[in-house]
Amino acid sequence: MKLVKSILSVAIASGLLLAGCSSSSGNGGSDKTADGKVKIRFATWDVGDDVKLQQGLIDKFNETHKDINVVLEAYGSDYDTKITAGMGAKDAPDVMYMWNYPQYKDALEPLDSYIEKEGAEYKDNFYETLWNYNSVDEKVLGLPVGYTTHVVYYNKALFDQAGVEYPKAGWTWEDLQATAKKLTNKETKVTGFAFSGKPDPYDFEMYLWGNNAAYVDKNGKLKGNLDSKKSVDVFEMFQKMEKSGIAITSEGSGDTEMKSGKVAMFVYGAWGLTPLKEAGIDYGVVELPKFKDGKSVSILSSSGISVSKDSKHKKEAFEFIKFWTNEEANKARIAFELPVLKSVVKSEKLEQDELRSVFYSMLEKSDGYTPSSFIVDDWSEVSDNLNLVFEQIFNPSSLMDPKKALSSVVE
Amino acid sequence: MFGKSKKANSYQLVGRKVPYLFISPWIIGFLVFTLGPLAFSLVMSFFDWPITSDATFIGIDNYKKMFTNDPQFYKSLWITLKFAAIFVPLNLVIALILALLITQPVKGMKFFRTIFYMPAVVSGVAISIIWGWIFNSEYGILNYILSLIGIDGPRWLIDPKWAILTIVIASAWGVGTMMLIFYTDIKGIPAEIYEAAAIDGASPLRQFISITIPSITPTILFNVITSVIAALQQLTLVILLTGGGPLKSTYFYGLYVFNNAFKHHRLGYASANAWFMFIVILILTMIIFKSSSTWVFYENEVKKEGKKKK
Repeated sequence: MKLVKSILSVAIASGLLLAGCSSSSGNGGSDKTADGKVKIRFATWDVGDDVKLQQGLIDKFNETHKDINVVLEAYGSDYDTKITAGMGAKDAPDVMYMWNYPQYKDALEPLDSYIEKEGAEYKDNFYETLWNYNSVDEKVLGLPVGYTTHVVYYNKALFDQAGVEYPKAGWTWEDLQATAKKLTNKETKVTGFAFSGKPDPYDFEMYLWGNNAAYVDKNGKLKGNLDSKKSVDVFEMFQKMEKSGIAITSEGSGDTEMKSGKVAMFVYGAWGLTPLKEAGIDYGVVELPKFKDGKSVSILSSSGISVSKDSKHKKEAFEFIKFWTNEEANKARIAFELPVLKSVVKSEKLEQDELRSVFYSMLEKSDGYTPSSFIVDDWSEVSDNLNLVFEQIFNPSSLMDPKKALSSVVE
Repeated sequence: MFGKSKKANSYQLVGRKVPYLFISPWIIGFLVFTLGPLAFSLVMSFFDWPITSDATFIGIDNYKKMFTNDPQFYKSLWITLKFAAIFVPLNLVIALILALLITQPVKGMKFFRTIFYMPAVVSGVAISIIWGWIFNSEYGILNYILSLIGIDGPRWLIDPKWAILTIVIASAWGVGTMMLIFYTDIKGIPAEIYEAAAIDGASPLRQFISITIPSITPTILFNVITSVIAALQQLTLVILLTGGGPLKSTYFYGLYVFNNAFKHHRLGYASANAWFMFIVILILTMIIFKSSSTWVFYENEVKKEGKKKK
């Protein structure tokens, strides 16, 4: 037994030693590389070819910056879990991709003072709306890398078959419903419109904005906002489309249905551009419809790049994220990310691009709105509750009355 | 415990050191990667830890909140128990039937054995994605096949009434390992016993009930316990196939803990959740073990007892 004990104690000691090493290497290891350069760890959520492209860009940076060595860490689809775990272990990467700023704000370095040093022109070259999405409580926490607004994709072949004109910017939700009705065909199993049966509450708020409503007011209160008449109207409209059969609810975002060629229209971000093309769908895109007394507004799904508060080399880290968002980098990513710099959009003539220009005109129309996730303190909790209620409204086996469902959650 | 003479003692020590050295990689791994985090999570369950900022000690508040102020806790617990109640018996029966089938001396049995075992080798993620396609109510192959025989298939992943069954079906796909354990045990039953029974005129069903089942009760015990644990910890499938929906009908306890930790950033609370489940599993396992004395039959145990009596 004695021996067992001694082995155990040795093992525990070595275990502690190992643990000790790992925590010190977490902070100390990122200090310097063997040849005396400052090491910057950069975490990305991208996968596959995008990572290769990013590594190429990083190599370029490392070549031109003799005293900094950036190391790419590709976390893939479990990005948030790994970032969270890294922060918990006090071992967060120095630089990381970021989108959910409200949730991580306490772990990120405010960048305002760094940006000021670059001059006003530097900041102005980014689209204004984007700063809003990369800041929390008036503090900029990340530099914009990419974004997408949401637009309506439509299947040209299905429109041609039904002899319906393609939609144009400035159309209304009534127009969309009338168009969907004309396109719906029970025999060929074509449906006019598809939307998610369990929409992400973050995304869905743009429809409320379009109808001059929002989930919460400035103080983050749901009551009187989410259950206001204008808000309920939006949900009723979507539910009505589903009930009347001119729209189907998707188990995903509607992209699968669109790819199958059986759905004529759906709302999606720029993510759809390439996959739909690869699926052989001849599509067009158009701005979101307007509400009767409202506007055409889109939420932004934006990505930025942030510096960890715990990083020991914030100056070098900022040097790198500045490089990561410069013109050259924007151009390098152009195939899969919409550029965020006005100068690049101009030089690449994206405003003349039949498809991509729509995302930019949507962007300009969407300035001045703040998603509830930036206002409410415990958004992940609220979002969970909203998610359930939206599902109750749109799930074909419940189809709950929107007014009743929404008022159940504001209490 | 040690030998009587000094010589024997030192011999035993040397003899004992070597095996421990051999298993030391596992022991170290266990201490560093299992026992360490285990102890850490127990400590953390008494803290409020939002990850991005520092942890503060809050005593048993996490446990208090869990039992008194979190309806989702009870809902998720109930869903998980319901799942286990359907999944465990079903899985046992399927595994046993498959094991019986692959013990039959039929031509090409190796092929079937491989086929039945195959799903157990495939990663849970791949299985989830494939089942997602199969169960899709609009374009899924399952509802297409059902439509061929005139059945209008349910909306598997959308209808809350069906979703839990969907998970059960998809989980049953991984039955191969259990089948293999049954198979090796059934193979180990001496053929003479069956021959004797056949001579006495016992039907195959009678042979199965009176010979096969009693002989494999230890294996059944093992499979019951492991599948109860697996059922209570099910996470992969719900995370990928349903995400807890529709209408939170498959919001399993595992997913509840995972989301509390990594979605809501309440690591201390999630640790408390996890420890509660640990205790539930511990108690369930103990109950099953206690009950086993009445229905599990160990051949060698009887032999040992016989020896002692001498």
